[in-house]
Amino acid sequence: MRKGIKINTENESKKEKERNQEPEPNFYYALGHKIRRRIIELIGENGFSSFTVLKKELNVSTGTIYHHLDTLSTLIKQKSDKKYYLTELGIRAYDSIRNNIGSISFDISKKDYDSFLLKGLMYLTPKRIMVKTNKPNFFVIILSIMILISGGIFCALNGLYPFFLLFGTIPEIPYAPFFNFLFFLFNFFVFFCIIEAISRIFYKKKENSKEFLSTFAIIFLPSALYLIIHYFFLVLMVIEITFVGILDNIIMIIFQVWSLWLLTYGIVAYKQLRIENALIISLLLHYGGFSLILIISI
Amino acid sequence: MNIRKYIDLRLIGIVGSCLLIVSQFSSWYSGLSLINIFLITTSVAIEDSFLYLFPLISGIICFIGTFLVLYKLEYKLNSVIINFIGLGFFLIFIIEIVPKDFLYIGSVGFYFAVIGALLILLDVINVLKLNNNLIEEGN
Repeated sequence: MRKGIKINTENESKKEKERNQEPEPNFYYALGHKIRRRIIELIGENGFSSFTVLKKELNVSTGTIYHHLDTLSTLIKQKSDKKYYLTELGIRAYDSIRNNIGSISFDISKKDYDSFLLKGLMYLTPKRIMVKTNKPNFFVIILSIMILISGGIFCALNGLYPFFLLFGTIPEIPYAPFFNFLFFLFNFFVFFCIIEAISRIFYKKKENSKEFLSTFAIIFLPSALYLIIHYFFLVLMVIEITFVGILDNIIMIIFQVWSLWLLTYGIVAYKQLRIENALIISLLLHYGGFSLILIISI
Repeated sequence: MNIRKYIDLRLIGIVGSCLLIVSQFSSWYSGLSLINIFLITTSVAIEDSFLYLFPLISGIICFIGTFLVLYKLEYKLNSVIINFIGLGFFLIFIIEIVPKDFLYIGSVGFYFAVIGALLILLDVINVLKLNNNLIEEGN
């Protein structure tokens, strides 16, 4: 019996030694546990972390934390100030966690995920920005404000009114740039409120509203880019040229699909809805906006 | 009566995209089909003519999208995105044409196109609502 225990302990210490010597097994072993992934995330988000912060955030016993910190010995290091920092391998592990957040939370079939269409859309999704963090990310907030301001300005310059993710003109209202600008901001808030209301009423998802609002403007990034491109076509007076006109329409369609994907991703990431339900919400709102434009235009 | 027992609802997407394609060759304005208008405008103002091909382009793209999900349900997200792109062409066409020519449109082609687009929309929702278990059971 004693011999058996000794053999087991020897085996375990042998495995431990192997993990310490080879970075790859250690890397995957570390990412294999929820608490270890969270420790890496917490240290990665702030650059460093103290034991007290880890204990407060993880809400597990001191022994458990020490056990996981020991396991992560090649991914994190404790410096003289007693705080924990990521090693080079730890930074790679943190990057891997952040980059794979889409594939982790999405319930997508492998064939679907491997297609160039979805890979392309995932590549165009700013996953690092649209991910839930505990602290307000000022970079994201500034970026959101910039998108809103530039979107509003180019809406005014093009003389267009936004209806969710679509753009159109209102014949009865004369060209009023300031009104166009305000309409863009109003559209942003109304769109967010409708999605929030649908999530709360139909799916009972009340969480992460503030975080969702802070990154919601990212969904309008493709719209803002389209407005800039459209404005340049107008300024250069090439919009009347056959193929430029078609190109303008195709860019609008592609950028709308991109916006719809970002919206779906945002709903999945913040409201924890299934991707299918998020797509249904995006789809119905998009065509709701279209119907509004059509009714107003007629 | 559960209609799903008797027919595969995924077929409505195929019917919808076929209707969109057929609408291109059906009458929109008093006996004129969109393909006629395309040929006429090509000789007058080529810059506007391609717009009249959008329902056909939309129908073909949506046909590919709906066929993909009939072929394998595992591709349902790709199918939905392809249908988004296809319907995008139809939306642009409708937004450009309907407000301008609202009083003159009323022939069978217009109704085919609208019903086709609605059927595709219903198909997309139906595909998204289909249970993932169906994928595991091999369709």
